[in-house]
Amino acid sequence: MKFFKIIIFLMIYMSLIVAGEYQVDKDREGNLVKFISDAPMEDFEGVTEKIDGYIFWEGNDLLNKNEMYFEVDLNSLDTGIGLRNRHMRENYLETDKYPFTHFTGKLVKAEQEETGKYNVTAEGTMFIHGVEKPLTVEGTMLATENGFRIQVKFITALSDFNIKIPQLMFFKIDENMKLELDFFVKKVEQD
Amino acid sequence: MTKNVTTRVSIWILLLVVLMGTVLSQERARWQRSEPVTQPDLQLFHSPLVIDLPSATTLQKYDFEFEVSHRFIPTTGSGIRDFYGLDGPAHIRLALAFAPSDHMVVKLGRTNFNDNIDLWLKYKFLQIRHPKVPLLLAFKAGGAWNSYPEYPEISQRKKSDLRNFQAFGQFIINTMIGKRLGIGLVPSYVYNTDIRWGPETDDSETKDTFRMGTYLQFYVSPLWSIMWEWSPYVAGYKSLPGQEYNPMSFGIELETGGHFFKIFLTNSQYINTSQYLAGADIAVEKNDWRIGFMITRLLKFGKK
Repeated sequence: MKFFKIIIFLMIYMSLIVAGEYQVDKDREGNLVKFISDAPMEDFEGVTEKIDGYIFWEGNDLLNKNEMYFEVDLNSLDTGIGLRNRHMRENYLETDKYPFTHFTGKLVKAEQEETGKYNVTAEGTMFIHGVEKPLTVEGTMLATENGFRIQVKFITALSDFNIKIPQLMFFKIDENMKLELDFFVKKVEQD
Repeated sequence: MTKNVTTRVSIWILLLVVLMGTVLSQERARWQRSEPVTQPDLQLFHSPLVIDLPSATTLQKYDFEFEVSHRFIPTTGSGIRDFYGLDGPAHIRLALAFAPSDHMVVKLGRTNFNDNIDLWLKYKFLQIRHPKVPLLLAFKAGGAWNSYPEYPEISQRKKSDLRNFQAFGQFIINTMIGKRLGIGLVPSYVYNTDIRWGPETDDSETKDTFRMGTYLQFYVSPLWSIMWEWSPYVAGYKSLPGQEYNPMSFGIELETGGHFFKIFLTNSQYINTSQYLAGADIAVEKNDWRIGFMITRLLKFGKK
């Protein structure tokens, strides 16, 4: 009897330590990646829903061994005007060489604000335009029926990623881009 | 003996369970990219127009483009007295284009010469993404209505007379070498080149003209480019009075996120398609030019 108790305990332990993976729920509407440029003469924003990637960790502790990778398909960014999209792709982001931007990192802080809502901090590296930079971002994770809704806001300087914007009196892009991400991840069922 | 066997089996089961847990706990993420990167529509020339001739470039779906163009009638040869032509008068074109899809543009325009109103459709039907010689093929087809002809000999004609209508078609072939040098060929046809036929002029024939539009555009930087175009006569009616010459233009283009600004010299005072395809009014050899400009602005209404 004692033996079977040990087996049951081990099974429960295993269920806790079995790797958990949450991938971006691409079937769900509402995934959004947005950048906002506040330039003196012309504010504009670019949006896409083409975010993909995962969070992977062991056990129920959000900070236990974990890793994350998220990428955004830059060719899909839409600023509302075709010519501006083309300029962004060809002249600034050079998406023929660097079609994706991605963040690789891990959660280093998670505080439960209320039931099912966590204020989290992730550290890692951001890759844009061929340049990798360390980045720390803060956001929230909201529990959903099968995963989490992740919301993150941060600011990044274009010059940090070797993106040069021509300065012209009637066309200027803000050096500091505000980035907002709001997307869903869902648990991947184990085989 | 039985107890020993049970103990051994139990140990093996325990080891198996622990081993499974260890193996599973070392599992890595299984995520893999499942979709290819988005492939944007192939565009070569930056602007849908070079000067008079169209490129195969289209607008993004639901984009609008507003155009204002001028061709100053006095030539640069008029000197400082007419400020090299900029004192005017000028032929003016206003137009609005709309893209119902990424491959199609519909444009309605009007110029004050003959009150010519034209409506045309451009459709990009082939994209070849060759790394060195990409290719775009498109056609443009439409019609024009000279709603108030300025020719005295047909001044009594009804506005709606069918002879005031023209049609045109252009086949557009574009390539781009090294992302800098755009090359275009535009075989062009215009029907009813000279609207002055009929009993008023003792001329009973409609006329048509075929030209081979050609152009080059070199992109000096993401903002600046220089362009040249020429539309030599190939076949059909050539001797439209006052428009006997092959149109040629050259100039510079500045682009921003939503505008194109073009300023150029041309030997033609005509802007709308059916009019410039009829011919230019100054021989290139005279080296006397007209100043022209075009400004286009992309517009988007509704949701970004």
